Amino acid sequence: MVKIKHIIIAILVVIVGIWAAFYFSQNEEKRVRKQFDILSEWVSKDPGEKALTMAHKIRSAGDLFAEECEIKAPIDSLSGSYTLEEISSYAAQARLQFSKLSLHFYDLDIEFPDEGRATGLLTANLTGRSTSGERVDETHELQCVLKKIDNKWLFTNLEVVEVLKK
Amino acid sequence: MAVNKKIRQFLFPSLTPKFLIRASLVALSAYLFFGYICIPIRIKGASMEPTYRNGEVNFCWRLRYIRSEPERFDVVMVRFAGNRVMLLKRIVAVAGETVEFRDGQLFVDGKEINEPYVRYPCNWNLLPRRVERNCVYVVGDNRSTPIENHVFGQTSLKRVIGGPLW
Repeated sequence: MVKIKHIIIAILVVIVGIWAAFYFSQNEEKRVRKQFDILSEWVSKDPGEKALTMAHKIRSAGDLFAEECEIKAPIDSLSGSYTLEEISSYAAQARLQFSKLSLHFYDLDIEFPDEGRATGLLTANLTGRSTSGERVDETHELQCVLKKIDNKWLFTNLEVVEVLKK
Repeated sequence: MAVNKKIRQFLFPSLTPKFLIRASLVALSAYLFFGYICIPIRIKGASMEPTYRNGEVNFCWRLRYIRSEPERFDVVMVRFAGNRVMLLKRIVAVAGETVEFRDGQLFVDGKEINEPYVRYPCNWNLLPRRVERNCVYVVGDNRSTPIENHVFGQTSLKRVIGGPLW
């Protein structure tokens, strides 16, 4: 009787352990996913966006990017290492060129290759309209690296995957 | 009367276990077939005109290169981003070959290539470049756009996921 009781307890402990491991790993994944949602919101712009909203968005870059972020894109002029201030400044300038912007992510695949490091492979679709009325509809595959710094998942690398090389 | 009964039975079948199993199998097969083997696609853009027109519907046949390797002049689907965005392009050169454009004319390994599928003349110029191992060089049939605006180039064979069904 005692033996059966021990077996049942052992099974329960194993189940709780598996559930806890699954729950906490999921939790980290959820937190990383959340960063992509925030990034999407951060980039998106509604027509007639107020200056205050824009200033608030630009200020909150620190919740998304690390102090130093590496960007790699097929357009060489965009590639390089950027500080948080530079990212905020370029983002503010870029946003002024558009009256409407919308960024959506699809097929997000998150992995945790090392402790405190996450990689995300995803499809990014940027649509909008420039202030001159030109329509924008760009889709690219992105490879992102996030690091856990001060208990926050922050983007440290963003790479636009080059599918076709001329 | 018997015909009426048969029609009624066809339109409103009795929910017997046998029927439910059959319906589930049909639904599962359709999901697998159209989700992974023969994927419905809608062509967006004019890069393959006049062979494939903007807005046309086709299917991506994933089993096309199971037993053979893609060859020159094959129209292929290149996985561009995630699982949803594909590029429809034509292979003009395979690994080890040198590809070049001179005044709109395609040259492979220095030989002029006849391309009957190209209907719109162009004046593209591209210096010779060798296609790397496990890669193919793909270009769209519509060369009427300036070379800078046309999405083409070398891509990995891993990204070639199939070809259009027709």
